[in-house]
Amino acid sequence: MTDIVFIALSLFAIAGAVAMLVNKKPLNSALGLLITMLSIAGLFALLSASFLFMVQIIVYAGAIMTLILFILMFLNIKDEELPDEPKKYMFIGLGAALMIPLNVLILKAVSKLPNADLSIVEGDFGDIKPVGITLYNNWLVSFELISILLLVALVGSIVLAKRRKPKEKRGEQ
Amino acid sequence: MISLSSYAFVSMILFSIGVIGVIARRNVFIIYMSIELMLNGITLFLVTFARYHFNLDAQVITVLVIAIAAAEAAIFLSVIILLYRSKKSLDTDIFTTLTQGENS
Repeated sequence: MTDIVFIALSLFAIAGAVAMLVNKKPLNSALGLLITMLSIAGLFALLSASFLFMVQIIVYAGAIMTLILFILMFLNIKDEELPDEPKKYMFIGLGAALMIPLNVLILKAVSKLPNADLSIVEGDFGDIKPVGITLYNNWLVSFELISILLLVALVGSIVLAKRRKPKEKRGEQ
Repeated sequence: MISLSSYAFVSMILFSIGVIGVIARRNVFIIYMSIELMLNGITLFLVTFARYHFNLDAQVITVLVIAIAAAEAAIFLSVIILLYRSKKSLDTDIFTTLTQGENS
């Protein structure tokens, strides 16, 4: 049963990623990426990481995908403004050939590891409370740095995206 | 039989598709979504190893990576709005300048 769920979720994830890669319109690509993120959330649940399952759905599939779709619809992109990519499939094949050695290397390295049962465990492994205790015990400095980073990103995106009135006046003079 | 290698295979495929998207496509949005895909593949690998070693540190790192991805989304999308307003295009070949020129 778990095998079938794993195979279905991984097929969905890879199919969504390929759809994101080959689609010309950004909106269709964003929907493919949404399928991939939801499938990865399911894989997290299979790995008994229930907190990350919720975080993946809420933050990635909820917030970030909503932001991407909102920006796409806000820009109102016409078809003629998209770049035409005549050699797209040639570059995709070239990139795939470039990535094969790295994949073979990592798969060989992983297959050397001792095999273990990766099924869902009983108990509270990966629940909110143990993850939170680990976060605030061992990773407190990283947590504070992340909060500063989020504040900087907030201020920076507001400064970047607002219209610049004084510069246009300077151009008129 | 689900082993470590099958999870590694899926996450490597996702990461590779992300790298190929950054290499092959010229649309800025697709490049951004490919970067998100690379982050997703690596977090899947991290969570697999968290389950393999029964250690929660990798899951905490995954939470931090998701927070970084949210900050990156805010910055990247506002930069895309700026570039699209000044050039009226999404093609990366046009975006060759970082300065605010007078005629841009």
